[in-house]
Amino acid sequence: MENAETRGPESLSEVRVGMFSFAHMHAASYIHFLTQMEGVTLAGIYDDDYDRGGRIAAQFNVPYFRRSEGLLDQELDGAIICSENALHAPLVLQAAGKVRGILCEKPIATTVSDGQAMIDRCRESGTKLQIAFPMRFSPPVIELKSQVESGVLGEVYSVKTTNHGSMPGRWFVDAKLAGGGAVIDHTVHVVDLIRWIWATEVVEVYAEVGRELLHPGLGIDDVGLLSFQLANGIFGTLDTSWSRPPSYPTWGDVKVDVLGENGLICVDAFEQNLHVSSDEAGKTSDVNWGSSGDEGLVADFVAMIREGREPSVNGEDGLRALEVALAAYESARRAEPVKL
Amino acid sequence: MKRVGIVGAGGISRTHADRWSRMPGIELAGFHDIVEDAARGAVQRSGGKVFSSLNELFDAVDYVDVCTPGTAHVGPVVAALEAGLPTVCEKPLANSVADCEQIVDAAERTGTPLFVAMVVRFFPQFAKAKQVLDSGAIGAPGVIRTVRSGSYPDAGSSWRKGLAITSYYADFAQSGGVLLDLCIHDIDYQRWCFGEIERVFARGMMFAGKEPKDHALLTVRFASGAVGHIEGSWSYPRGRFSTRIEIAGTRGIIEWDSRARQPVEVAIAREDGSLASSSSSPTAPQHDPYYAELAHFVSCAEAEEPFLVTPYDGLMAVKISRAAIESLETGKAVTIS
Repeated sequence: MENAETRGPESLSEVRVGMFSFAHMHAASYIHFLTQMEGVTLAGIYDDDYDRGGRIAAQFNVPYFRRSEGLLDQELDGAIICSENALHAPLVLQAAGKVRGILCEKPIATTVSDGQAMIDRCRESGTKLQIAFPMRFSPPVIELKSQVESGVLGEVYSVKTTNHGSMPGRWFVDAKLAGGGAVIDHTVHVVDLIRWIWATEVVEVYAEVGRELLHPGLGIDDVGLLSFQLANGIFGTLDTSWSRPPSYPTWGDVKVDVLGENGLICVDAFEQNLHVSSDEAGKTSDVNWGSSGDEGLVADFVAMIREGREPSVNGEDGLRALEVALAAYESARRAEPVKL
Repeated sequence: MKRVGIVGAGGISRTHADRWSRMPGIELAGFHDIVEDAARGAVQRSGGKVFSSLNELFDAVDYVDVCTPGTAHVGPVVAALEAGLPTVCEKPLANSVADCEQIVDAAERTGTPLFVAMVVRFFPQFAKAKQVLDSGAIGAPGVIRTVRSGSYPDAGSSWRKGLAITSYYADFAQSGGVLLDLCIHDIDYQRWCFGEIERVFARGMMFAGKEPKDHALLTVRFASGAVGHIEGSWSYPRGRFSTRIEIAGTRGIIEWDSRARQPVEVAIAREDGSLASSSSSPTAPQHDPYYAELAHFVSCAEAEEPFLVTPYDGLMAVKISRAAIESLETGKAVTIS
């Protein structure tokens, strides 16, 4: 097996990154922040969609690769993987040992066995695997964590959360490529935040999952209500529904309400908006001016490579969050709580 | 490593020093102030050394940051430019149009980079509104309204007490009251968004003998034909500081209000059963507007690129503020020459 330490440390003043697939729209945001950073070179773009990959490569004036092997041969330090969920595993397995670090879009994979294989292969080959959970870098969420850690709430009783979204269509509604619908798409972000803020695990989950409740003929779940118990005694819920129609002012939300013996902290991570009414759009839209978590995420990934340190969000974090999403589906099938 | 020296040790000096102190690649060399005790206090707080003269400071730095009151900008700014040191000048560029012209002349004559710290252009919500406007999403510009209203800046702020600047704001002949000190932000922002301002008309309390309270309502007419409204106040109740943006065009409108719901809201019961509530709207450290404007200065100075705010922009903002004061005095609309 190849070893990740293929380039000498002197090369690290410049970090060379390749982007693998733009199937997930977050890639557009990552490339935006990546190309604004000093000391980072975008080495090229691989995409199995020739039109999409070629267009973006031309836009950023970098080489386009129709095969992932071609981009992996470009002496990369880092690989950012934003393929369809089910294709994370083959790309990570291929890149492991050829780069110092991988930033893999969430969810880590569509099955636990794929996720575990990715973690194992990266560990064996010395490649650092980071999972893309940008909400950890959202300033309102960071403020929530610091408030919680201050102990101001006293004993914490419950955490009520939502990660609403718009129905994304495309491969996101293809069970084979996405691994599920709204539940797998939107469970992992908030579960990761909760695990991170309280350093705890979800030990039991109950879920009501709705199929085609909001989008007739969709063929997959578009509504999810998860009810969970944490190891530290806190209970809570999470709404993962794709319940924001095209006429809604924004794509969705991440909201966390924490209730404790002394009071309440409410966080609405995307509530820093201009209200823009446009005849063109035919509606009033929220235009966010807050600091994007994606900026912090990408900077953290590059810093991990440059400093040779461990990822701040690792493969295990990604796998634990995936396990909760998969347990939610199982709970919905059995109509009873599932232990983790 | 680039060394920065700050001239002036009052309020904005402290804000800038805090940002310089956490900027990679920058060393805060120290302070010069005509009140040496003030410089010593600043050094105790922020580090660096006390420079007893401007020349001593100039010899020890790569960049100069002038944070004196607007009445005392022209001396240190022109001297720094003549010494060839890229310079930040806090707004207003100067309190008189004549001083501004002298500074602009010095910048042109020496070719030394001069950045006017019009910080509102670096507030993320104001920058985003300009970006949305420029994208064409609301069509052609028609009416712009902005608000910048709070209580008088001195009272209750204990750190400022005892500094030479304490009476500066209340002396409207010196500070120019809200029109020159506060509305200048909105004048510059509106001019940045909508282009040159042709005419201004103002009503306000500057000459009403209610110092230190002041309050002004301005209307402006742009060369494009568009119009603008500005409210600036030092008369709002304490704790009610608010800013607002409303930009209307032929095809839409942009709105923002600082008093809208905040992303983080905390409600805690005190021991006596009363409620302690607070809210905040945090952003990443590099998007703090004071940090962002100073980082912009450094990156442009190093790359020898033009600044987002030019000396001419600084001059025009003061010209328009002064025209607004003239309008208050005369009761007439004043055309900007």
